[in-house]
Amino acid sequence: MSLSLLAPLALGLSLLAALPILAHLSRQTPRDRQAFGAMLLVERVVKRLRRRRRLKDPWLLLLRVLAVLALVLAASGLEFKWPGGVPEHGGSGRVVLVIDRSMSMQQVDGGVTLFGRARDEALSLVRVLPDGVLIGLVVFDDGAERLTPTLSADRQRVIAQLEGLSASWGRSDLQAGLSEARKLLGGEPGEVLLYSDEAGPTMVASARDELRRLLDAGAAVLPRLSLPVSPRNVAIQRATYGDGAEGGELTLRVANFGQTSIEVPCEVTLPDGQVITVFASLPPEGEAEQRVTIPREALGGVGEARCDDPDLPADDVRYFHLPRVGASRVLLVDGDPGHTPTRSEVYFLERALAPWGTGRGGVAIDITTPTGLMALDPEVHRVVFLANVSDPRPFGPALVDFVRRGGSVVVSAGSNVSPERYQAALAGLLPAPPRQVRALSDSGEEGVAVVVPQADHPSLEPFRRAGRGGFARVRAKRVLTFDAFSNTDEVTTILSLEGGLPFMVERRVGLGRAIWFTSTLDIGWSNFPLQAVYMPLMQRLVGWLGGEAAEEAARFDGLVGQPVSLDLPELDVDPIVRDGAGQLVASRVEGSTLRFTPTRPGAYALAFGDAPPTAWVAVNVDPVESDVRRPLAVEAVERDLAPELFRQTADLSRPLLAAAFALLLLQGLLATRRSS
Amino acid sequence: MTSGTPQVWDPVVLARVRHLHLRARHVADSLLMGAHRSRRVGQAIEFADYQEYLPGMDLRGLDWRVWGRTDRLVVKRYETETELPSTIVLDLSADLSTGAEGSGGYPDLDKTKAGFAICLAATLLFWLHRHHEPVGLEIIAGQGAPFSSLPPRGGRNHLQLLFLMLASVKPGGQASLQQALLRVGERTKRRSLVAVISDGMEEPSSWLPSLAAFSRRGADLRFLHLFDPGEWSMRFNAPTLFFSPEGGDAIPVDPVGAQAAFGEVVDEYVTEVRGGVVKWGGQYLQVSSGAPMVDAVRRVVLGAASDSVTAWRAGASRSGR
Repeated sequence: MSLSLLAPLALGLSLLAALPILAHLSRQTPRDRQAFGAMLLVERVVKRLRRRRRLKDPWLLLLRVLAVLALVLAASGLEFKWPGGVPEHGGSGRVVLVIDRSMSMQQVDGGVTLFGRARDEALSLVRVLPDGVLIGLVVFDDGAERLTPTLSADRQRVIAQLEGLSASWGRSDLQAGLSEARKLLGGEPGEVLLYSDEAGPTMVASARDELRRLLDAGAAVLPRLSLPVSPRNVAIQRATYGDGAEGGELTLRVANFGQTSIEVPCEVTLPDGQVITVFASLPPEGEAEQRVTIPREALGGVGEARCDDPDLPADDVRYFHLPRVGASRVLLVDGDPGHTPTRSEVYFLERALAPWGTGRGGVAIDITTPTGLMALDPEVHRVVFLANVSDPRPFGPALVDFVRRGGSVVVSAGSNVSPERYQAALAGLLPAPPRQVRALSDSGEEGVAVVVPQADHPSLEPFRRAGRGGFARVRAKRVLTFDAFSNTDEVTTILSLEGGLPFMVERRVGLGRAIWFTSTLDIGWSNFPLQAVYMPLMQRLVGWLGGEAAEEAARFDGLVGQPVSLDLPELDVDPIVRDGAGQLVASRVEGSTLRFTPTRPGAYALAFGDAPPTAWVAVNVDPVESDVRRPLAVEAVERDLAPELFRQTADLSRPLLAAAFALLLLQGLLATRRSS
Repeated sequence: MTSGTPQVWDPVVLARVRHLHLRARHVADSLLMGAHRSRRVGQAIEFADYQEYLPGMDLRGLDWRVWGRTDRLVVKRYETETELPSTIVLDLSADLSTGAEGSGGYPDLDKTKAGFAICLAATLLFWLHRHHEPVGLEIIAGQGAPFSSLPPRGGRNHLQLLFLMLASVKPGGQASLQQALLRVGERTKRRSLVAVISDGMEEPSSWLPSLAAFSRRGADLRFLHLFDPGEWSMRFNAPTLFFSPEGGDAIPVDPVGAQAAFGEVVDEYVTEVRGGVVKWGGQYLQVSSGAPMVDAVRRVVLGAASDSVTAWRAGASRSGR
């Protein structure tokens, strides 16, 4: 609060306040002198009167002095200023309505959303604005949009646009909204009426500079708050599937933005439709982590975690990527069950893929005979091991088709492998026509060592930092040879023996792969299963081969309102994007990049033709937008930037004049009463 | 006083009070001839009868007229009376000089308190002298008198001296009543009448106890409280700067605003003085300088039993001041 003077020079008139004092002083020295013989009585009277006059005269003097001072202050234009509330709009004739339609405005309060309330208030205001007032309309969420290109007096148009507005799932870019409002005002004074909940940790703070520009241009930003009685919201901030062995955990981070603790039920819906329910206990204005165990077998894709709360339903769902759990389910066709465990590929593969047993996670291996390949289902088994199978001809086409559609085959040689039958059945999967089985060393000798690879190949990824030297201990005594071939886009020699013979070869076919081991996966032809590199290589193979087709199927994350860019594989089919409801989403291709902007949360799928999705995009609302608290108010920033805008002023001249008049009357009455 | 040429004594007044008696409150055993009857018949002042002269008698008592008519030598016999020495104590401090000044700088006998006091004192002295009382005079303060003090005596010459004192004195100076009364009181040796004529305008608590000096000696004390009704009613119309002729600071007073308070102050003052006089064995009489002299003398002679506080108000209203 403060006082100010419009005419401070008038304070010089305060010298007039000395006049009553002088008058009182002069009154006490009469001119008439009288010799008096009873001075004893006069002295006693004076003493008595002095006691009384102490009360009377000072009051009279005070009244007169106050009257003079009141006149002086009235002449000097005394003003009283004190902090007031938000000023009322009006006066400039130029009004811009800025409407916040971000996700937080979908908060429900008293049966209506904050956005609905704000829109209705804006409509009411527009309807009562005086004729001739120029009106503009701006909406903002992730960005800002001018619904009126310029200020206009066409009130009906503004009303129609307001009535057609709805809230979005976007963030709150108040700065952009105010910037558009400033452009509408064109640097001229005016009023910006902001209809918003001002929610979010950075919404108002990030708009400070824009507020300053508006105030410098002579505009006033008048908040028209749409606030809930008590801001509350529960939202899943993050949903992450943990890496590691299949059948892991989904970690949910749930936040409570209310001021009371709450327990909410949460449901996790897996891509295959399985529903897992958990309960999250949340402290006031705090977070909690909830872990959800994913079943050992679950289809990969985009899952959905939902924690319902009635306050802001828009952010109740969080979409997350789930790799195919247990998707590396391996089918092992043992063409040569050994009489002893050490003579069986199954034994060594089981040890490598589930060292602690399948009950503790790890890869579940299904073992079958070659006849089991007739009902090969890539949705069930992603990786098929053909271990020393003698005749693949009955299931050759099915196997080739299996690979083309994304499955993977790992073929190991053995004494049962016939080059002619394999060429006849699996020519489409072979890197080259097989020739013969060749002994590389005599009995009793160690065999030929594998050359230490560079580990550039994805299957050797675990060995990039260390462990490659272990391959040198792998020694093959016998291998299946192929016709000479060279590496191409389809064929890659991953491991080779000293001397150049291939040991492990990759053939890419369609969406899948075929991995050829020229030796056995047991200790029949090599010591490979006994080496340290065997287990990690087998696990890596299964994980790499058994996932969502690795490099061909990608997982992306996106935010509502933010553009998503996807690199496209080289295919001749046009890509399409569908939202979670299966509806086509507008997109554009720029070179080898596809771009689209999701407008609502969900699982967006990129596909080519009728093929299964090539990429999944989990689109979620910005978790920042779920914070419905209001740490900083626009009004507070404006008070800091332009405090004079919020000061209320009262001109005290008239009241002081009235007070002076009253004081003069009062002193006159008092003086008259004393005289009588 | 009656209007006309100022006189030291007023025969009209004397004629009027000739028939009055001075009643003494105390019976004194005195051998001197006075106005009061004594238990012993001794040498009298008034003729009672004749007695045949016997050798040894005082020849002054021989009635020669009877011898001329009858050739008989007889001696007059008189009623025996107790002497009542009377002293007038007259306060002539400068406060009593307020009012008009007479010729020659002497106080106007009609328009000043001092003049009234002098007239009153002279009248009392003459009256007492006519009643053959030894009279004396003490003047407190004042200036110009040949004597400030004459003890009580009889005789015409003495009276003349007293009148001379009164006629020649001017008011002035400060009374210092406490010391003056103590001094006079110590000189009062036997039962006597003491009439103090004063305005009492000094702090009463300072001089009232001094009156005990008279009562200790059995004196009949009469305190004649002289006042000017105009002064005691503060009848002024404009703010005035009042000052005392005796000196001191001038005090500004708005009489209009002080009227009510002044009345209260005077009442309290009179009550205080009267109570003190009575307490120390005296008789209190208020004498207004605006009242007729005969009334004042009568009240003094008759020894008015009480003068209430309101008497001065009545006197003030009659005087019309």
